[in-house]
Amino acid sequence: MVVGDIATGTEVLVVGAGPGGYVAAIRAAQLGLDTTLVERDAYGGTCLNYGCIPSKALVTASDVAYAAREAEEMGIHADPAVDMKGMVSWKDGVVDQLTGGVEKLCKANGVNLVEGTAEFADERKVRVAHDGEGQGSESIEFEHAIISTGSRPVQIPNFEFDGEYVLSSRHALALDTLPESLVVVGAGYIGMELGTVFAKLGTDVTVVEMLDSALPGYEDDVARIVRSRAEDLGIEFHFGEAAKDWERSGDGITVRTEDGEGTVSEFGAEKVLVAVGRSPVTDTLNLEAAGVETDERGFVPTDDRARTNVEHVYAVGDVAGEPMLAHKAMKEGQVAAEVIAGEPSALDYQSVPAAVFTDPEIGTVGMTEAEAEEAGFEPVVGQMPMRASGRALTMNEGDGFVRIVADGPSGFVLGAQIVAPEASELVAELTLAIEMGATLEDVAATIHVHPTLSEAVMEAAENAQGHAIHTLNR
Amino acid sequence: MATREFKLPDVGEGLTEAEIVGWLVEEGDAVTEDQPVAEAETDKAVVEVPSPVDGTVKEIRAEAGEVVPVGEVIIVFETEGGEAAEEPETGRPEPEAAAGAAEEVPGGGTEEVSTPEGRVFAAPSARRLARELGVDIAEVEGSGPGGRVGEADVRAHAEGAGEAEASQAPEPEAERGGSAAGRASDDGAGAGGADVSAPAASAVEVAERDRTLAAPATRRLAEERGVDLNAVPTDEERDGRPFVAPEQVVAYAEAQEEAQAADAAAIGAAPAGVSPERYEAAEDERVPYRGIRRTIGAQMARSKYTAPHVTHHDEVDVTELVAVRSELKEVAAERGVSLTYMPFVIRAVVAALREFPYLNSTLDEEAEEIVLRKDYNVGVAVATDAGLMVPVIRNADRKGMLRLSSELSDLVEKARERTISREEMQGGTFTITNFGAIGGEYATPIINYPETAILGLGAIKKKPRVVESDASGAHRENGTAVSGEVVPRYVMTLSLSIDHRVIDGAQAAAFTNRVMEYLEDPSLLLLE
Repeated sequence: MVVGDIATGTEVLVVGAGPGGYVAAIRAAQLGLDTTLVERDAYGGTCLNYGCIPSKALVTASDVAYAAREAEEMGIHADPAVDMKGMVSWKDGVVDQLTGGVEKLCKANGVNLVEGTAEFADERKVRVAHDGEGQGSESIEFEHAIISTGSRPVQIPNFEFDGEYVLSSRHALALDTLPESLVVVGAGYIGMELGTVFAKLGTDVTVVEMLDSALPGYEDDVARIVRSRAEDLGIEFHFGEAAKDWERSGDGITVRTEDGEGTVSEFGAEKVLVAVGRSPVTDTLNLEAAGVETDERGFVPTDDRARTNVEHVYAVGDVAGEPMLAHKAMKEGQVAAEVIAGEPSALDYQSVPAAVFTDPEIGTVGMTEAEAEEAGFEPVVGQMPMRASGRALTMNEGDGFVRIVADGPSGFVLGAQIVAPEASELVAELTLAIEMGATLEDVAATIHVHPTLSEAVMEAAENAQGHAIHTLNR
Repeated sequence: MATREFKLPDVGEGLTEAEIVGWLVEEGDAVTEDQPVAEAETDKAVVEVPSPVDGTVKEIRAEAGEVVPVGEVIIVFETEGGEAAEEPETGRPEPEAAAGAAEEVPGGGTEEVSTPEGRVFAAPSARRLARELGVDIAEVEGSGPGGRVGEADVRAHAEGAGEAEASQAPEPEAERGGSAAGRASDDGAGAGGADVSAPAASAVEVAERDRTLAAPATRRLAEERGVDLNAVPTDEERDGRPFVAPEQVVAYAEAQEEAQAADAAAIGAAPAGVSPERYEAAEDERVPYRGIRRTIGAQMARSKYTAPHVTHHDEVDVTELVAVRSELKEVAAERGVSLTYMPFVIRAVVAALREFPYLNSTLDEEAEEIVLRKDYNVGVAVATDAGLMVPVIRNADRKGMLRLSSELSDLVEKARERTISREEMQGGTFTITNFGAIGGEYATPIINYPETAILGLGAIKKKPRVVESDASGAHRENGTAVSGEVVPRYVMTLSLSIDHRVIDGAQAAAFTNRVMEYLEDPSLLLLE
């Protein structure tokens, strides 16, 4: 502590301006609280700067390139040239627009913005170190604090991120030239999304995964469709192999893997992307000074009002635990702000939808059939294959399905697994159904526009009731 | 060697459990495929459970007499062969939580769907309202489809919590739909009462059907007659789904029309066959369905849909009782007590209950036991401005006529003034309701659940009676009476509703007969 340092005061201090933090700050300010938001890097956090938004921008751009190249079936002949620099600069434009928007919104709502790295000094005070030599630091006293410092990519031994040969997802999204070949370590959703992007842009992609399937955590039939499309794109999969180390060789690198029996394989590539997961950023905060506890993985346990073990300290977003999803963070941020303002707010959602922007997309919400059974329901399941969807076929996208899981006796919708074009959008309807306590009949009896992909949702609900028109009933 | 677990197979007809009557094998016995190993009893029949394999019995997991859910392992076999044979799926697996929680209601239609713990189906707006009102949404009873909780349910719960959850009163008024002709009840003993109440009960019950199979022509007919197909009572099934035939639609439509006509006549307003909404005019008043009224309603519905009601009707000659009471009334008045007929009825009922303990019982559904109550706490339904209340006279068997009389008038007054405490309305074992006080002969009283019986009293009226015998001289009118002569007598009607799960019609009739004996000849009460 600097002698003579005078702390400024705030009612609500938010640490981290990602989707959890900026939403919390804006909401708190809207509710009339004096709010200060501290960000050390960029407004919008990982999501806007290094995650969702840039990756989805590249997913779209790569789709355009791929679709143009593959449209001969539809009678279109094109040979698109990919200008990676141009693509990345367009993506950066999108990101800048959004992060600028966040900053403007914060200011317009009266949030005090402070740039720097916050660290707890005690239960009621943080010190914020400003970047750069001689920039100094300041102290901020708070009545309530909201921790929303997010997560960072996990590093594995012998694969220190260097941004040149060993890339994190963040690096991969900022490349200004397209690598000719890429080894992706990890077949989780980040590895699968980025692997697909690069494959579509023309990179030779090899995926190595320690486990024996892609997209662990998703049901087999869901993962299988995505994997098989990825293979059609030319992605090569090697399962049951752990990344061991790498070395320079020629113009590129050689990545070595090892399977369970000690057999070593080598893969040559221009670069390696390590996408094996993310861990919470709680180690830079000096949480002990505030008395905030973390679990063994570094997450901050919270209750249904986003409160930590310290009464006036809240945690939202990735630091508060799985699933690490921006939309979950936003909800938590909103709830934390409202709880601080004395509103009867709580995290009482029934389910958090999730999407993977592979080809085709995956959208899931709520329970799988097995989970429903385990929870004591008597699940019934309805499914609509996309090959029976008129719209899907007109998009030349007949892979995948919409599956609805419901409780047999009551008909309540409990969950959905969608593998389809626009699955990330389609899942919204069923999320609403779950939150509203809608039944299969409610969904089936709702008229859907024809011809659309969303008809498949209606059809799956009808299928679960045994009276689907466009598919054979189970 | 391999072991093979054998689960209780689907015993058919959608049953979810069966009782193991007995084992036909012992541990260590060799068995061959298809050899019966156990006998299981469903509510329809005893069936033999065959062994699925050749082998020996390694372990018997269920005891004789145990009720086992379908899908639970009942026996383990040891078989020859390398790998543990996977048992083919038989029937649907029973999720553990559901097996524990689900309460099977015979008859199916009103079966409550149990929701696994922690899960409440309610829209986010309803959840928020619950938080605002400080209501635990898990405790709110949902009135939406499948028990979905809506905002109105949350509000009602919040308001209900404040007000007296007091009344657990039965509704003695005659059922709407009582006049509706419907299919006859298959209950012989319940006779008239069951017949009358059946259509109303089944109409409501089936109204909860969400799908009904019917031919297109039948659907058209239903539409023409303005009938909701899902509300038409039926026993028929196709593909396991309720099926309705044209005749049933016609019968139901006629019954409905008749009932509506009766309603219309009763309120002297809308012509028959016209829905009341259409006649809702600007001056109509809407009274909130809240508080005690709603509590009464919920209690009524719970009783009606839980306990299969059968009502037994009879009439009793109370000429002697009228005489005795008018004599004693003056004596009582001298002691400051106004003597009504009710104390006599209570005494008669208590005396009969001693003989028929099942009428003084409750059904513990969870423990699957009938609890024969040893106290005789008689509730008496009282109409108050706020609605029906049922004060309870505790230990009615140990109280004299005057004590009963004064205690009763005390409680009635408290109920009318709404100063009665909850405790004074709890703990009843049997209820009497006197709908005759207002006028009327027969009705279907709703059981004050979880009691298993309720006696309704009609008005005492002078009626012509054929006097068969004058042996005792008691029935002599003007000094002489000839057997078979029609003479004017005081007659009271009785309507006894019973929970048919616990009490059979014959028992109901015998109990009523005993009550009648006491009321016919009140001097018998002296012996009690």
